Amino acid sequence: MVTHNFVDNALAELLDEHTRLTLDDLARTCCMAPDWVVERLQAGLLQGEHTGGRWLFTSTTVLRARRLARLEATFDADPELAALTTDLIEEVAELRQRLRQLERLK
Amino acid sequence: MEFKDYYQILGVARDASADDIKKAYRKLARKYHPDVSKEADAAARMAEVNEANAVLSDPEKRAAYDALGREAPHRPGQDFRPPPNWDAGFEFTGSPGAEGMDGAEFSEFFEQLFGRAARAQGAQHGGAQAHGAGPAQQRGRDHHAGIELDLRNAYHGAQRMLTLHGARLDEAGHLVNQERQLHVTIPKGVRAGQLIRLTGQGGPGLGGAPAGDLFLEVQFKPDARWRAEDRDVYQSVTLAPWEAELGGAIEVQTPGGSTVEVTVPPRWKSGRKLRLKERGIPAATPGDLYLELHIALPAATTPEQQQAYRALAQAFPQFKPRNAPGTQGG
Repeated sequence: MVTHNFVDNALAELLDEHTRLTLDDLARTCCMAPDWVVERLQAGLLQGEHTGGRWLFTSTTVLRARRLARLEATFDADPELAALTTDLIEEVAELRQRLRQLERLK
Repeated sequence: MEFKDYYQILGVARDASADDIKKAYRKLARKYHPDVSKEADAAARMAEVNEANAVLSDPEKRAAYDALGREAPHRPGQDFRPPPNWDAGFEFTGSPGAEGMDGAEFSEFFEQLFGRAARAQGAQHGGAQAHGAGPAQQRGRDHHAGIELDLRNAYHGAQRMLTLHGARLDEAGHLVNQERQLHVTIPKGVRAGQLIRLTGQGGPGLGGAPAGDLFLEVQFKPDARWRAEDRDVYQSVTLAPWEAELGGAIEVQTPGGSTVEVTVPPRWKSGRKLRLKERGIPAATPGDLYLELHIALPAATTPEQQQAYRALAQAFPQFKPRNAPGTQGG
């Protein structure tokens, strides 16, 4: 059975320089514990801003952290190896975008 | 509800060892991993494979699933309802899904057997059937989805009506499919890869706990006219040969919708870009708009036009275009 429920005007919040995720937010959105995030911050695999005793994260870090978490969980991967794979995936995506742009100019 | 044959999904025998299951899962995960797969339905197949692995790699869930298959044999795709107390004697620990995995992607079949519905029912019935490790109150899961916008939306913002498919628990603790429509105001200034958070629009919470959030990842629709790199926007502008070489004022329609007059400097240079400061994606520090200039040659279809090209050739007897590609030649 499918029910319909109309919800109007959800509060849309853009994650940018002014609105960022906290450590708990980031951990929850990766389905991991906060300690998992802290370990990767200390190892330099994730980047965040540490101000006033708390961590704040941008959209880019959220996407990267979710990718890291998925790779580690799927392949029981070493965090460093998952980070290397993530670096390569990000670079391939960037190169593919450049390739599409160059192909459009032909 | 559709019955899921997790063994068939992973392509393993019913007596497969834990090691066989792990190998089969990793092989399929490499094939369908959304970051690398070229398969059209990779994301859906990966969710299915994750779900099968979440059950078969967990001895407790696998034993319960096997017992269910023996008591109520079903073929994949057949309509299925779990018999009452099907899970009596089994205890499920840990999260319904797996660490690092988005349980929101799991099917109704999984949710009904091992997920939030089973745990909520267990809690409501005194915890006799299914036991979760967490407290009775649990915040809902965050959900993630993509949203594709036109680059113009980044300049002006946009209104979108999203249809969300999900599930909620009714008063008796039964899982009810729910389709919701959400009217979302996309703020101006969005960039590709940026996340928009819709607070409380994720998975439902348990025991009065708040719902999770819905995160929308912004992507721009491919457009031959322009592209964005962070806040800077690159727009392709085509010039006639005489505009490119002699320079002059041209009118350009920008992604923001306005028409601006731009002065093209004389003497054509290949790869030339013109920067329009702060005409990129709006923000406290707006991006710039770069006009990438290209030349289009008009087709000579009439004798007069062909004669004009011949006259051009005669006017430039020293021009050797193949001596120095991309330049004015010799």
